[in-house]
Amino acid sequence: MDNRRVVLHCDINHCYAQIEEMKVPELRKVPMAVGGHETTRHGIILAKNDLAKEYHIKTGDSLREAYAKCPQLVVIPPNYDEYLYYSEKVKDIYRKYTDRVESFGLDEAWIDVSASSKIYGSGEAIAREIKKKVYEQLGLTISVGVSFNKVFAKLGSDMIKPDGLVVIDEENYQRLVWPLPVEELIYIGRATKRKLNEFGIKTIGDLAVFRADLIESRMGKVGLMIHEFANGIDDKSVAFTGYQDEAKSVGNGITTIRDMHSLKDVELVFRVLAESVASRLREMGVQGQVVTIGLRDNELHGLSRQRKLAEPTCLADEILAMAMQLTREHYSFILPLRSISLTMSDLQKPSAVEQLSFFTDHGKIKQRVLDETVDAIRSRYGFTKIKRCSMLLDDELTNFNPKADHIIFPVSFL
Amino acid sequence: MVIAMYKKYVDVITMVDKHGEVKPLAIQWDEIKRYPIERVVDIRWAASPVGGSGLRFTCQIAGHERILFYERNRWFIESLQP
Repeated sequence: MDNRRVVLHCDINHCYAQIEEMKVPELRKVPMAVGGHETTRHGIILAKNDLAKEYHIKTGDSLREAYAKCPQLVVIPPNYDEYLYYSEKVKDIYRKYTDRVESFGLDEAWIDVSASSKIYGSGEAIAREIKKKVYEQLGLTISVGVSFNKVFAKLGSDMIKPDGLVVIDEENYQRLVWPLPVEELIYIGRATKRKLNEFGIKTIGDLAVFRADLIESRMGKVGLMIHEFANGIDDKSVAFTGYQDEAKSVGNGITTIRDMHSLKDVELVFRVLAESVASRLREMGVQGQVVTIGLRDNELHGLSRQRKLAEPTCLADEILAMAMQLTREHYSFILPLRSISLTMSDLQKPSAVEQLSFFTDHGKIKQRVLDETVDAIRSRYGFTKIKRCSMLLDDELTNFNPKADHIIFPVSFL
Repeated sequence: MVIAMYKKYVDVITMVDKHGEVKPLAIQWDEIKRYPIERVVDIRWAASPVGGSGLRFTCQIAGHERILFYERNRWFIESLQP
Protein backbone atom coordinates (compact mmCIF):
# COMPACT_ATOMS: atom_id res chain seq x y z
CA MET A 1 0.00 0.00 0.00
CA ASP A 2 1.33 3.35 -1.02
CA ASN A 3 1.06 5.57 2.02
CA ARG A 4 2.62 8.72 0.66
CA ARG A 5 0.48 11.73 1.20
CA VAL A 6 -0.74 13.99 -1.57
CA VAL A 7 -1.51 17.48 -0.31
CA LEU A 8 -2.67 20.40 -2.43
CA HIS A 9 -2.54 24.01 -1.36
CA CYS A 10 -4.84 26.27 -3.34
CA ASP A 11 -4.71 30.03 -3.29
CA ILE A 12 -7.23 32.29 -5.04
CA ASN A 13 -4.95 34.82 -6.74
CA HIS A 14 -5.30 38.30 -5.21
CA CYS A 15 -8.70 37.20 -4.07
CA TYR A 16 -10.67 40.40 -3.44
CA ALA A 17 -9.42 42.12 -6.59
CA GLN A 18 -10.02 39.06 -8.74
CA ILE A 19 -13.60 38.66 -7.54
CA GLU A 20 -14.27 42.30 -8.41
CA GLU A 21 -12.76 41.72 -11.87
CA MET A 22 -14.82 38.61 -12.37
CA LYS A 23 -17.98 40.59 -11.65
CA VAL A 24 -16.98 43.54 -13.83
CA PRO A 25 -14.48 42.40 -16.50
CA GLU A 26 -13.74 46.00 -17.58
CA LEU A 27 -11.75 46.37 -14.35
CA ARG A 28 -9.11 44.06 -15.83
CA LYS A 29 -8.14 46.82 -18.25
CA VAL A 30 -7.34 49.45 -15.62
CA PRO A 31 -5.14 49.55 -12.54
CA MET A 32 -7.53 48.67 -9.75
CA ALA A 33 -7.34 47.99 -6.04
CA VAL A 34 -9.76 47.07 -3.32
CA GLY A 35 -9.36 49.33 -0.31
CA GLY A 36 -11.16 50.95 2.56
CA HIS A 37 -12.87 54.31 2.62
CA GLU A 38 -10.52 57.22 3.16
CA THR A 39 -13.17 59.07 5.18
CA THR A 40 -13.49 56.37 7.79
CA ARG A 41 -9.69 56.09 7.72
CA HIS A 42 -9.48 52.41 7.09
CA GLY A 43 -7.67 53.73 4.11
CA ILE A 44 -5.39 50.91 3.09
CA ILE A 45 -5.05 48.74 0.01
CA LEU A 46 -6.35 45.24 0.69
CA ALA A 47 -5.77 43.75 -2.75
CA LYS A 48 -4.75 44.92 -6.21
CA ASN A 49 -4.83 43.65 -9.75
CA ASP A 50 -1.84 42.97 -12.01
CA LEU A 51 -1.94 46.41 -13.66
CA ALA A 52 -1.87 48.11 -10.25
CA LYS A 53 1.05 45.88 -9.30
CA GLU A 54 3.03 47.34 -12.20
CA TYR A 55 2.81 50.68 -10.39
CA HIS A 56 4.40 49.00 -7.34
CA ILE A 57 1.23 49.30 -5.33
CA LYS A 58 1.43 46.97 -2.36
CA THR A 59 -1.13 45.43 -0.06
CA GLY A 60 -1.10 47.55 3.07
CA ASP A 61 -0.26 50.84 1.32
CA SER A 62 -2.38 53.75 2.45
CA LEU A 63 -4.74 55.10 -0.18
CA ARG A 64 -2.69 58.30 -0.27
CA GLU A 65 0.52 56.38 -1.05
CA ALA A 66 -1.30 54.37 -3.69
CA TYR A 67 -2.70 57.44 -5.46
CA ALA A 68 0.77 59.01 -5.38
CA LYS A 69 2.14 56.00 -7.23
CA CYS A 70 -0.76 55.81 -9.67
CA PRO A 71 -3.16 58.79 -9.84
CA GLN A 72 -5.60 56.99 -12.16
CA LEU A 73 -5.97 54.02 -9.80
CA VAL A 74 -9.54 52.78 -9.49
CA VAL A 75 -10.29 52.01 -5.85
CA ILE A 76 -13.26 49.85 -4.93
CA PRO A 77 -14.53 49.60 -1.36
CA PRO A 78 -14.52 46.01 -0.10
CA ASN A 79 -17.64 43.82 -0.30
CA TYR A 80 -16.76 41.20 2.30
CA ASP A 81 -20.09 39.49 1.90
CA GLU A 82 -19.36 38.81 -1.77
CA TYR A 83 -15.83 37.59 -1.06
CA LEU A 84 -17.12 35.17 1.55
CA TYR A 85 -19.77 33.91 -0.85
CA TYR A 86 -17.50 33.30 -3.83
CA SER A 87 -14.59 31.89 -1.83
CA GLU A 88 -17.01 29.41 -0.24
CA LYS A 89 -18.20 28.44 -3.72
CA VAL A 90 -14.58 27.76 -4.67
CA LYS A 91 -14.15 25.60 -1.57
CA ASP A 92 -17.33 23.72 -2.49
CA ILE A 93 -15.46 22.60 -5.61
CA TYR A 94 -12.49 21.42 -3.50
CA ARG A 95 -14.89 19.51 -1.27
CA LYS A 96 -16.06 17.40 -4.20
CA TYR A 97 -12.69 15.64 -4.14
CA THR A 98 -12.17 14.96 -0.44
CA ASP A 99 -13.56 15.52 3.01
CA ARG A 100 -10.22 16.97 4.08
CA VAL A 101 -10.33 20.64 3.15
CA GLU A 102 -8.73 22.95 5.68
CA SER A 103 -9.25 26.66 5.17
CA PHE A 104 -6.40 29.02 5.82
CA GLY A 105 -8.07 32.37 5.71
CA LEU A 106 -10.61 33.31 3.12
CA ASP A 107 -8.63 32.60 -0.01
CA GLU A 108 -6.39 29.65 0.83
CA ALA A 109 -6.99 26.02 1.67
CA TRP A 110 -5.15 22.76 2.01
CA ILE A 111 -6.71 19.73 0.40
CA ASP A 112 -5.57 16.20 1.23
CA VAL A 113 -6.31 13.98 -1.77
CA SER A 114 -4.15 10.99 -0.75
CA ALA A 115 -7.19 8.75 -0.59
CA SER A 116 -8.81 10.15 -3.74
CA SER A 117 -6.05 9.33 -6.21
CA LYS A 118 -7.52 5.94 -7.13
CA ILE A 119 -10.67 7.68 -8.34
CA TYR A 120 -9.39 10.98 -9.67
CA GLY A 121 -5.77 10.28 -10.61
CA SER A 122 -2.51 11.82 -9.46
CA GLY A 123 -2.26 14.98 -7.36
CA GLU A 124 -1.24 16.89 -10.45
CA ALA A 125 -4.22 15.62 -12.42
CA ILE A 126 -6.59 16.58 -9.61
CA ALA A 127 -4.98 20.00 -9.35
CA ARG A 128 -5.49 20.56 -13.08
CA GLU A 129 -9.10 19.49 -12.86
CA ILE A 130 -9.81 21.74 -9.87
CA LYS A 131 -8.20 24.72 -11.60
CA LYS A 132 -10.27 24.09 -14.71
CA LYS A 133 -13.52 23.79 -12.78
CA VAL A 134 -12.89 26.90 -10.69
CA TYR A 135 -12.19 28.85 -13.86
CA GLU A 136 -15.14 27.53 -15.83
CA GLN A 137 -17.69 27.69 -13.05
CA LEU A 138 -16.67 30.81 -11.19
CA GLY A 139 -14.37 32.64 -13.59
CA LEU A 140 -11.51 32.73 -11.07
CA THR A 141 -7.90 31.60 -11.34
CA ILE A 142 -6.10 29.85 -8.51
CA SER A 143 -2.50 28.86 -7.90
CA VAL A 144 -1.96 25.32 -6.71
CA GLY A 145 0.99 23.64 -5.06
CA VAL A 146 1.10 19.84 -5.01
CA SER A 147 3.39 18.08 -2.58
CA PHE A 148 3.79 15.39 0.05
CA ASN A 149 3.23 17.74 2.98
CA LYS A 150 1.42 20.97 3.85
CA VAL A 151 4.51 23.16 4.12
CA PHE A 152 5.84 22.38 0.64
CA ALA A 153 2.36 22.48 -0.88
CA LYS A 154 2.02 26.05 0.34
CA LEU A 155 5.45 26.97 -1.02
CA GLY A 156 4.40 25.48 -4.36
CA SER A 157 1.28 27.59 -4.59
CA ASP A 158 3.34 30.73 -3.91
CA MET A 159 5.84 30.04 -6.69
CA ILE A 160 3.81 30.93 -9.77
CA LYS A 161 1.17 33.63 -9.59
CA PRO A 162 -1.33 33.95 -11.07
CA ASP A 163 -2.74 30.67 -12.29
CA GLY A 164 0.23 28.51 -11.29
CA LEU A 165 0.65 24.79 -10.78
CA VAL A 166 3.82 23.50 -9.17
CA VAL A 167 4.55 19.94 -8.11
CA ILE A 168 7.15 19.52 -5.39
CA ASP A 169 8.05 15.89 -4.76
CA GLU A 170 10.80 13.96 -2.99
CA GLU A 171 12.94 14.07 -6.12
CA ASN A 172 12.84 17.76 -6.90
CA TYR A 173 12.35 19.56 -3.59
CA GLN A 174 16.06 20.24 -3.07
CA ARG A 175 16.24 21.85 -6.49
CA LEU A 176 12.98 23.83 -6.22
CA VAL A 177 12.71 24.72 -2.55
CA TRP A 178 16.22 25.03 -1.22
CA PRO A 179 17.33 28.09 -3.24
CA LEU A 180 14.35 30.12 -1.93
CA PRO A 181 14.96 32.77 0.73
CA VAL A 182 14.35 31.33 4.16
CA GLU A 183 11.50 33.75 5.00
CA GLU A 184 9.35 32.12 2.30
CA LEU A 185 8.91 29.16 4.63
CA ILE A 186 5.71 29.30 6.60
CA TYR A 187 6.16 30.35 10.21
CA ILE A 188 9.28 32.39 9.55
CA GLY A 189 8.52 36.05 10.17
CA ARG A 190 10.76 39.03 10.49
CA ALA A 191 12.16 38.18 13.91
CA THR A 192 12.93 34.55 13.08
CA LYS A 193 14.47 35.60 9.79
CA ARG A 194 16.81 37.98 11.62
CA LYS A 195 17.92 35.24 14.01
CA LEU A 196 18.54 32.83 11.16
CA ASN A 197 20.45 35.43 9.18
CA GLU A 198 22.76 35.87 12.18
CA PHE A 199 23.66 32.20 11.75
CA GLY A 200 24.41 32.94 8.12
CA ILE A 201 21.26 31.13 7.05
CA LYS A 202 19.85 32.91 4.00
CA THR A 203 18.04 30.21 2.06
CA ILE A 204 15.81 27.30 2.96
CA GLY A 205 18.64 25.03 1.81
CA ASP A 206 21.04 26.69 4.29
CA LEU A 207 18.54 25.96 7.04
CA ALA A 208 17.98 22.36 5.94
CA VAL A 209 21.67 21.41 6.14
CA PHE A 210 22.38 23.41 9.29
CA ARG A 211 23.02 21.45 12.49
CA ALA A 212 19.70 20.79 14.12
CA ASP A 213 21.09 20.82 17.67
CA LEU A 214 22.57 24.31 17.22
CA ILE A 215 19.28 25.69 15.96
CA GLU A 216 17.42 24.04 18.79
CA SER A 217 19.77 25.40 21.42
CA ARG A 218 19.29 28.90 20.08
CA MET A 219 15.63 28.88 19.12
CA GLY A 220 14.08 26.01 21.04
CA LYS A 221 11.30 23.81 19.75
CA VAL A 222 10.28 26.22 17.02
CA GLY A 223 13.82 26.10 15.66
CA LEU A 224 13.70 22.34 15.46
CA MET A 225 10.32 22.49 13.76
CA ILE A 226 11.36 24.87 11.00
CA HIS A 227 14.52 22.81 10.50
CA GLU A 228 12.30 19.81 9.86
CA PHE A 229 10.06 21.88 7.56
CA ALA A 230 13.07 22.80 5.44
CA ASN A 231 13.86 19.10 5.10
CA GLY A 232 10.34 18.24 4.03
CA ILE A 233 9.43 16.65 7.35
CA ASP A 234 5.94 17.76 8.29
CA ASP A 235 3.35 15.21 9.22
CA LYS A 236 0.60 17.60 10.26
CA SER A 237 -2.62 16.35 8.79
CA VAL A 238 -5.13 18.37 6.83
CA ALA A 239 -8.14 18.92 9.06
CA PHE A 240 -11.54 17.60 8.11
CA THR A 241 -14.04 19.95 6.52
CA GLY A 242 -15.95 21.90 9.09
CA TYR A 243 -13.45 21.19 11.81
CA GLN A 244 -12.82 24.31 13.79
CA ASP A 245 -10.25 24.86 16.43
CA GLU A 246 -11.68 25.99 19.68
CA ALA A 247 -11.10 29.72 19.94
CA LYS A 248 -8.25 30.67 22.21
CA SER A 249 -9.17 34.30 22.43
CA VAL A 250 -11.91 36.75 21.56
CA GLY A 251 -11.05 40.28 20.55
CA ASN A 252 -12.17 43.37 18.70
CA GLY A 253 -10.36 46.46 17.55
CA ILE A 254 -11.19 49.67 15.77
CA THR A 255 -9.55 52.58 14.00
CA THR A 256 -11.74 55.47 15.04
CA ILE A 257 -12.90 58.23 12.72
CA ARG A 258 -11.02 60.83 14.70
CA ASP A 259 -8.04 60.42 17.02
CA MET A 260 -8.61 59.75 20.69
CA HIS A 261 -7.04 62.44 22.84
CA SER A 262 -7.95 61.52 26.38
CA LEU A 263 -8.83 58.70 28.73
CA LYS A 264 -12.42 59.81 28.36
CA ASP A 265 -12.33 59.20 24.58
CA VAL A 266 -10.64 55.86 25.05
CA GLU A 267 -13.18 54.80 27.64
CA LEU A 268 -16.06 55.49 25.24
CA VAL A 269 -14.52 53.29 22.58
CA PHE A 270 -13.39 50.57 24.97
CA ARG A 271 -16.95 50.48 26.29
CA VAL A 272 -18.24 49.50 22.85
CA LEU A 273 -15.46 46.96 22.36
CA ALA A 274 -15.94 45.49 25.84
CA GLU A 275 -19.65 45.03 25.24
CA SER A 276 -18.95 43.29 21.96
CA VAL A 277 -16.28 41.00 23.39
CA ALA A 278 -18.41 40.19 26.44
CA SER A 279 -21.38 39.44 24.24
CA ARG A 280 -19.33 37.10 22.08
CA LEU A 281 -17.97 35.33 25.16
CA ARG A 282 -21.51 34.74 26.39
CA GLU A 283 -22.53 33.49 22.97
CA MET A 284 -19.72 30.93 23.13
CA GLY A 285 -20.62 30.06 26.71
CA VAL A 286 -17.17 30.83 28.05
CA GLN A 287 -15.44 33.31 30.31
CA GLY A 288 -12.03 34.88 29.88
CA GLN A 289 -9.49 35.72 32.52
CA VAL A 290 -6.74 37.64 30.73
CA VAL A 291 -7.43 41.12 29.37
CA THR A 292 -5.12 42.41 26.63
CA ILE A 293 -5.25 45.91 25.25
CA GLY A 294 -3.56 47.13 22.10
CA LEU A 295 -2.93 50.84 21.59
CA ARG A 296 -1.63 52.48 18.45
CA ASP A 297 -0.85 56.20 18.24
CA ASN A 298 -1.28 58.41 15.21
CA GLU A 299 2.30 57.74 14.13
CA LEU A 300 1.45 54.06 14.14
CA HIS A 301 3.64 53.00 17.06
CA GLY A 302 1.89 50.20 18.84
CA LEU A 303 2.00 48.79 22.32
CA SER A 304 0.20 45.91 23.92
CA ARG A 305 -0.31 45.13 27.61
CA GLN A 306 -2.12 42.33 29.39
CA ARG A 307 -3.14 41.35 32.89
CA LYS A 308 -4.94 38.49 34.53
CA LEU A 309 -8.18 39.15 36.37
CA ALA A 310 -8.81 37.71 39.82
CA GLU A 311 -11.66 35.64 38.39
CA PRO A 312 -12.76 34.78 34.86
CA THR A 313 -15.56 36.93 33.53
CA CYS A 314 -17.88 37.59 30.63
CA LEU A 315 -19.11 40.93 31.93
CA ALA A 316 -18.45 44.09 29.96
CA ASP A 317 -18.01 46.23 33.07
CA GLU A 318 -15.23 44.08 34.51
CA ILE A 319 -13.42 43.86 31.19
CA LEU A 320 -13.71 47.60 30.70
CA ALA A 321 -12.40 48.37 34.19
CA MET A 322 -9.26 46.34 33.59
CA ALA A 323 -8.76 47.78 30.10
CA MET A 324 -8.95 51.30 31.54
CA GLN A 325 -6.60 50.44 34.39
CA LEU A 326 -4.03 49.17 31.90
CA THR A 327 -4.46 52.25 29.71
CA ARG A 328 -3.99 54.59 32.69
CA GLU A 329 -0.85 52.80 33.76
CA HIS A 330 0.78 52.53 30.38
CA TYR A 331 -0.24 55.47 28.23
CA SER A 332 0.28 59.16 28.75
CA PHE A 333 -1.28 60.67 25.59
CA ILE A 334 1.86 62.42 24.38
CA LEU A 335 0.49 61.42 20.99
CA PRO A 336 -3.22 60.86 20.40
CA LEU A 337 -4.38 57.32 19.73
CA ARG A 338 -5.58 56.23 16.32
CA SER A 339 -6.70 52.70 16.95
CA ILE A 340 -7.26 50.48 19.96
CA SER A 341 -8.12 46.84 20.49
CA LEU A 342 -9.35 44.68 23.32
CA THR A 343 -8.90 40.92 23.61
CA MET A 344 -9.92 38.34 26.20
CA SER A 345 -7.94 35.12 26.47
CA ASP A 346 -7.40 32.22 28.85
CA LEU A 347 -10.93 31.18 28.01
CA GLN A 348 -12.63 28.65 30.23
CA LYS A 349 -16.01 27.05 30.57
CA PRO A 350 -17.64 28.31 33.75
CA SER A 351 -18.36 25.63 36.30
CA ALA A 352 -21.99 24.90 36.98
CA VAL A 353 -21.86 26.77 40.25
CA GLU A 354 -20.20 30.11 40.16
CA GLN A 355 -17.73 30.67 42.95
CA LEU A 356 -18.51 34.07 44.39
CA SER A 357 -15.69 35.82 46.07
CA PHE A 358 -16.35 36.52 49.72
CA PHE A 359 -14.97 40.01 49.79
CA THR A 360 -15.91 41.46 46.45
CA ASP A 361 -19.04 42.90 45.00
CA HIS A 362 -21.98 40.60 44.70
CA GLY A 363 -23.79 42.65 42.10
CA LYS A 364 -22.32 40.29 39.51
CA ILE A 365 -25.42 38.23 38.97
CA LYS A 366 -27.55 41.32 38.53
CA GLN A 367 -25.01 42.71 36.06
CA ARG A 368 -25.00 39.49 34.11
CA VAL A 369 -28.79 39.46 33.81
CA LEU A 370 -28.65 43.05 32.63
CA ASP A 371 -26.00 42.29 29.99
CA GLU A 372 -27.93 39.28 28.74
CA THR A 373 -31.09 41.34 28.47
CA VAL A 374 -29.26 43.92 26.35
CA ASP A 375 -27.98 41.04 24.15
CA ALA A 376 -31.52 39.75 23.70
CA ILE A 377 -32.94 43.16 22.78
CA ARG A 378 -30.11 43.71 20.29
CA SER A 379 -30.48 40.35 18.63
CA ARG A 380 -34.20 40.92 18.23
CA TYR A 381 -34.45 44.58 17.29
CA GLY A 382 -30.97 45.54 16.10
CA PHE A 383 -27.69 46.65 17.57
CA THR A 384 -28.48 50.36 17.81
CA LYS A 385 -31.85 49.99 19.50
CA ILE A 386 -30.43 50.02 22.98
CA LYS A 387 -27.22 51.67 24.03
CA ARG A 388 -25.44 53.28 26.89
CA CYS A 389 -26.07 56.94 27.48
CA SER A 390 -22.30 57.39 27.24
CA MET A 391 -22.48 56.37 23.58
CA LEU A 392 -24.38 59.57 22.89
CA LEU A 393 -21.53 61.72 24.20
CA ASP A 394 -19.54 61.26 21.03
CA ASP A 395 -21.32 59.65 18.17
CA GLU A 396 -18.28 59.85 15.91
CA LEU A 397 -16.17 57.68 18.16
CA THR A 398 -18.74 55.11 19.14
CA ASN A 399 -20.92 54.69 16.11
CA PHE A 400 -19.81 51.21 15.08
CA ASN A 401 -20.83 47.64 15.70
CA PRO A 402 -17.69 45.57 16.20
CA LYS A 403 -19.57 42.31 16.55
CA ALA A 404 -21.16 42.46 13.13
CA ASP A 405 -18.73 44.64 11.20
CA HIS A 406 -15.65 42.49 11.55
CA ILE A 407 -16.32 39.02 10.36
CA ILE A 408 -12.99 38.23 8.80
CA PHE A 409 -10.28 37.29 11.21
CA PRO A 410 -6.66 36.58 10.54
CA VAL A 411 -5.68 33.00 11.17
CA SER A 412 -2.51 31.45 12.43
CA PHE A 413 -0.79 28.29 11.40
CA LEU A 414 -0.49 25.36 13.90
CA MET B 1 -15.66 38.62 -35.30
CA VAL B 2 -16.08 39.50 -31.67
CA ILE B 3 -19.55 40.69 -30.77
CA ALA B 4 -19.74 43.07 -27.84
CA MET B 5 -21.97 41.69 -25.15
CA TYR B 6 -23.37 43.35 -22.10
CA LYS B 7 -24.52 42.23 -18.69
CA LYS B 8 -28.13 43.22 -18.28
CA TYR B 9 -30.08 42.51 -15.12
CA VAL B 10 -33.70 41.58 -15.79
CA ASP B 11 -36.91 40.83 -13.91
CA VAL B 12 -37.71 37.13 -14.05
CA ILE B 13 -40.84 35.23 -13.10
CA THR B 14 -39.84 31.95 -11.49
CA MET B 15 -41.32 28.83 -10.04
CA VAL B 16 -39.89 27.16 -6.95
CA ASP B 17 -40.85 23.51 -6.96
CA LYS B 18 -41.48 21.39 -3.89
CA HIS B 19 -37.83 20.27 -3.82
CA GLY B 20 -36.65 23.87 -3.67
CA GLU B 21 -35.43 23.97 -7.28
CA VAL B 22 -35.83 27.33 -8.98
CA LYS B 23 -37.01 27.41 -12.58
CA PRO B 24 -37.36 30.57 -14.68
CA LEU B 25 -40.72 30.84 -16.46
CA ALA B 26 -40.58 34.20 -18.21
CA ILE B 27 -38.58 37.40 -18.53
CA GLN B 28 -40.68 40.46 -17.66
CA TRP B 29 -39.10 43.03 -19.97
CA ASP B 30 -41.17 46.06 -19.07
CA GLU B 31 -44.70 46.68 -17.87
CA ILE B 32 -46.21 45.20 -21.00
CA LYS B 33 -43.71 42.89 -22.65
CA ARG B 34 -43.20 39.46 -21.20
CA TYR B 35 -41.13 36.75 -22.91
CA PRO B 36 -42.08 33.22 -21.88
CA ILE B 37 -39.23 30.73 -21.59
CA GLU B 38 -40.21 27.86 -23.81
CA ARG B 39 -37.62 25.36 -22.70
CA VAL B 40 -34.59 25.11 -20.41
CA VAL B 41 -31.96 23.19 -22.37
CA ASP B 42 -29.13 23.10 -19.87
CA ILE B 43 -28.37 24.14 -16.27
CA ARG B 44 -24.87 24.38 -14.85
CA TRP B 45 -22.54 26.52 -12.77
CA ALA B 46 -20.59 28.82 -15.04
CA ALA B 47 -18.81 32.12 -15.35
CA SER B 48 -20.12 34.56 -17.93
CA PRO B 49 -17.94 36.40 -20.44
CA VAL B 50 -19.87 39.57 -19.59
CA GLY B 51 -18.84 39.26 -15.93
CA GLY B 52 -20.24 37.48 -12.94
CA SER B 53 -20.86 33.82 -12.32
CA GLY B 54 -23.71 31.72 -11.08
CA LEU B 55 -26.18 29.12 -12.20
CA ARG B 56 -26.36 29.32 -15.98
CA PHE B 57 -29.68 28.45 -17.65
CA THR B 58 -29.52 27.88 -21.38
CA CYS B 59 -33.08 28.69 -22.44
CA GLN B 60 -35.16 28.79 -25.56
CA ILE B 61 -37.05 32.07 -25.85
CA ALA B 62 -39.14 32.88 -28.92
CA GLY B 63 -37.36 30.11 -30.78
CA HIS B 64 -33.88 31.47 -29.98
CA GLU B 65 -31.32 30.17 -27.56
CA ARG B 66 -30.58 32.66 -24.81
CA ILE B 67 -28.36 32.49 -21.75
CA LEU B 68 -29.86 33.45 -18.43
CA PHE B 69 -27.76 33.64 -15.25
CA TYR B 70 -28.98 33.31 -11.68
CA GLU B 71 -26.33 35.27 -9.79
CA ARG B 72 -26.74 34.90 -6.02
CA ASN B 73 -30.22 36.46 -5.79
CA ARG B 74 -30.91 38.09 -9.13
CA TRP B 75 -30.95 37.33 -12.83
CA PHE B 76 -29.04 38.71 -15.77
CA ILE B 77 -28.87 38.02 -19.48
CA GLU B 78 -25.96 38.29 -21.87
CA SER B 79 -27.39 41.07 -23.99
CA LEU B 80 -26.43 42.54 -27.35
CA GLN B 81 -27.58 45.97 -26.16
CA PRO B 82 -26.42 47.69 -23.00
